[in-house]
Amino acid sequence: MLGYVLRRIGISIIIVIGVSIVVFLMLHFVFGSPARVVLGPKATAAAIKVWNAQHGFDAALPVQYGRYINGVIHGNLGFSYVEYEPVTTLLNQRWARSLFLAGVSLLFAVVIAIPLGIYQAIRRNSLSDTGVTGIAFVLYSMPVFFLGLILIQVFAFDLPIFSFEGSQATSMLGVMADWGAMTLPIATLALIQVAQFSRYMRSSAMDVLAQDYIKVARAKGLPERLVMLRHLLRNAMLPIITLIGLSIPLLLAGNIIVEELFNYPGLGLLFYQSLEKEDYKVLLAYTLIAAVLTVVGNLIADLSLAAADPRIRLA
Amino acid sequence: MSRAAGVLRRLAAARTSRTDAATGRRTQVFGCRGMTVAAVAVAAATGLAACGSSGGSGSGGGSSSSAGLSGGYGSVPAQHGTAKKGGTVTVAEQPGSTPNWILPVTTSASNTVYNDFSFGWEAWTPLYYQATGVTPTVDEAMSPADAPKWSNNDKTVTITMKKSWKWSNGQPVTAKDLMFTIDEIKAAIKQSPANWAAYVPGNFPATLTSMTSPNAQTVVMNLKNSVNPTWFEDDILTFVTPMPAAQWAKTSANGSIVDFTNSSNAAKIYKFLSSQSKSLGTYSSNPLWRTVDGPYKLTNFNASSGAYTMVPNSAYGGAHPGGNLTVKMVPFQSEAAEFNAEKAGTLDVGVLPESDLPQSNALKRQGYNYFGYPEFGFNAAFYNFKDTTGDWNNIVKQLYFRQAMAHLVDQKGYVNAFFHGAGGYGYGPIPALPKSPFQPADAASNPYPFSVTDATNLLKSHGWTINSGGTDVCSNPGNGSNQCGSGIPKGTKLSFNLIYNSQQTFIGQMDTDLASKAKKAGINIKLQSSNFDYIISNYIDPAAPANVNKWAMNDFGGETNSVYPTTYGLFNTGGSTQIGDYSNSTADKLIQASISSSSASAVKSEASFLTKNQPALFQPEPDVTYVWKNTLSGPPAQFASLTQYYLNPQYWYLTK
Repeated sequence: MLGYVLRRIGISIIIVIGVSIVVFLMLHFVFGSPARVVLGPKATAAAIKVWNAQHGFDAALPVQYGRYINGVIHGNLGFSYVEYEPVTTLLNQRWARSLFLAGVSLLFAVVIAIPLGIYQAIRRNSLSDTGVTGIAFVLYSMPVFFLGLILIQVFAFDLPIFSFEGSQATSMLGVMADWGAMTLPIATLALIQVAQFSRYMRSSAMDVLAQDYIKVARAKGLPERLVMLRHLLRNAMLPIITLIGLSIPLLLAGNIIVEELFNYPGLGLLFYQSLEKEDYKVLLAYTLIAAVLTVVGNLIADLSLAAADPRIRLA
Repeated sequence: MSRAAGVLRRLAAARTSRTDAATGRRTQVFGCRGMTVAAVAVAAATGLAACGSSGGSGSGGGSSSSAGLSGGYGSVPAQHGTAKKGGTVTVAEQPGSTPNWILPVTTSASNTVYNDFSFGWEAWTPLYYQATGVTPTVDEAMSPADAPKWSNNDKTVTITMKKSWKWSNGQPVTAKDLMFTIDEIKAAIKQSPANWAAYVPGNFPATLTSMTSPNAQTVVMNLKNSVNPTWFEDDILTFVTPMPAAQWAKTSANGSIVDFTNSSNAAKIYKFLSSQSKSLGTYSSNPLWRTVDGPYKLTNFNASSGAYTMVPNSAYGGAHPGGNLTVKMVPFQSEAAEFNAEKAGTLDVGVLPESDLPQSNALKRQGYNYFGYPEFGFNAAFYNFKDTTGDWNNIVKQLYFRQAMAHLVDQKGYVNAFFHGAGGYGYGPIPALPKSPFQPADAASNPYPFSVTDATNLLKSHGWTINSGGTDVCSNPGNGSNQCGSGIPKGTKLSFNLIYNSQQTFIGQMDTDLASKAKKAGINIKLQSSNFDYIISNYIDPAAPANVNKWAMNDFGGETNSVYPTTYGLFNTGGSTQIGDYSNSTADKLIQASISSSSASAVKSEASFLTKNQPALFQPEPDVTYVWKNTLSGPPAQFASLTQYYLNPQYWYLTK
């Protein structure tokens, strides 16, 4: 197990380095250097050349990359010439908000989707299964922004129950306490995920229900509740564990569309705005973090899967 | 470009900054483009034909305001109600654009209307305030100095600070403060020309030979050459904002006041002040920023969100007849979020996004007023006069060809179809709206009205064989009046590329329509999409000479005009902000006269010539539309000025 974990970590590091090189090169190709942002569109070629030399942007690409990675290792993700702030400061201002939004919506999605999927599997092809399946398909095929707009119109304007925007509180405690403002953005994200997870759960549960060990459990007189909990749930959860693991990058990336729609200043929105402003230091840092989270999410999913299913041998 | 000092204005919608990609405009200053300006007086009607759109009006003016403004979208109601003293007004910040610079010496990177017009200028008033209302002209009444006096063949300017203008600590704003400011601008530029956005190399303050102060209120500046006084006042002195020497002339937070006339000290002071300006988290607590002379002072600034609150400065020396409102600036992450806030009624003042213009009447029923007006500047697709690909350089230098291209711009159609009827026409460097005191008579009428037939006839009469739907071919080469023109060989095809900024939807829409209409005339325009920064980095000749043969036309957006709308720098031969190397000896003489002659009408002659000569393909411009609650009132001009990004809440009041 330990050897497997170490090997996976090693591979993950290589993947992250590879991603960082590709992203660094691509962003460098598109944006070059921040000189024009700093000096303005009317800056002459000579002025830009001088600025690049002063700030190390005239060095060979491998050298620039090496400097950047060295900074990252030492906790320095660079400086945003657009916002006049270190990139770490910009990320620190927002990561907790995105974590809260995506984390709570993921939690709700899992808590709702798992029992719902099992219920549908047990009652498959019934009226209720068909109804839930129909709703799930509608939600799954619905663009996030459209669902968000509908929720805002109905629950913020027509029935003014919730706020039309996410919490604007300045502290995280304030955000967490502001349920009137956070309900709609969380619901928007959660509903889409419920639709997705419940479909996987239904399918997986149906497979498990057809297994011999379920029949044996029932044949030996085990109460149905225990059959469900001990045999069905644990085995049917395996694909969901993978899905949840792959959802981890969203915890920091948040959801660009939901954050924009609900005026919620999280990381996703920072990325979007940085893209518009061509703030490539922020884009680089954000992409790097997303890459790290993706490989970490995969690793966690694999390890969780092994823990949940003793039949899986890690080699 | 968007507006401000010295650069390209990016177009419109987002209008985030004068230099960033979201808007698509360059702003000129200092002999190039500069800031958009408005004035106290509200402009009169332009007399253009109505666009006939529902709700909107185009620059022809469908609806007109009770304030006498026509040509706008919606209207500005007359001042009404009884003023309530005090209260708070909530104003939306432009989505994604929050202040990130506070020092009144604005750098190129921080040169946005959101750092200047609605933030910095609330606390520190420029030497000559550029605007209220929508008319681009200096507003002397809102300025801390009396009108400048000129002598010595317009080489010496005497500026007298108003005795009534005081800092918030009660001390008068003096000549020493102005001299301190100019010395700090010089120190900033010495460190990097990008440290003062308004700087054009070789221009002020490089042209300042000496500066003296005969008394406590007066500064006398001697310049190297004679200048046009109006140009100097409108385009240069409007970017000089007096700073308090008695509080800021120091090199560290706890240091003592030093002699700023010593250049070494001035450099250290600039280094200290600019470092403080980069510390966003201390904006509301830093003692430096508490000494102000503008109508407002900052009491709260959230560096994370960009939200801030301002309260009236009781020592403000200008007029402040409003209700002493506290102004709460609220950040938004998107236009959709801002519009939702307007629908919910939580905003008192905000932008009505272009895509939501059809819902303007619904907002009106909810108790909002709305008014849109074009920003002072022009949109254009620029020609590259040096691109030799397919003999393009020889084709584009022919006036008849540029006239034919102008005939293919369906200005009325664009305004109706792409701007929801809310836009202004532009036929030259001075747009039809807003109406400027320097507007020539022919700026308000199209010298080359939309007509594919006229375009075709022009080409046909100059030796081109027309292949409608295909590509025209030069069949009669030569220099004669009925021939293609010098350097255009027989068989040359009318086919070239146009690189456009896809960050602004309407730019792509206009250029796609242009290519479609051009095809009917046998002109094959190959469209290529790009983004603002890529275009200005790679497809502007002075910036990227190696790419001179890679682009025939570009359309990054447009230019924001200075108060005094000369195109110095942009269209004069060798100008520092040239785009495609347009060169015309008549234009050169007229532009030079605009900045150096004493004639106030010189710039009119310049604009008139350029409108006819078409150095670029001029296009219409969408309105900037604002909404505000009808419980908020004040002089109509002070609401109309919002469309030019000027925020003057000292004139507003809540009604009882």
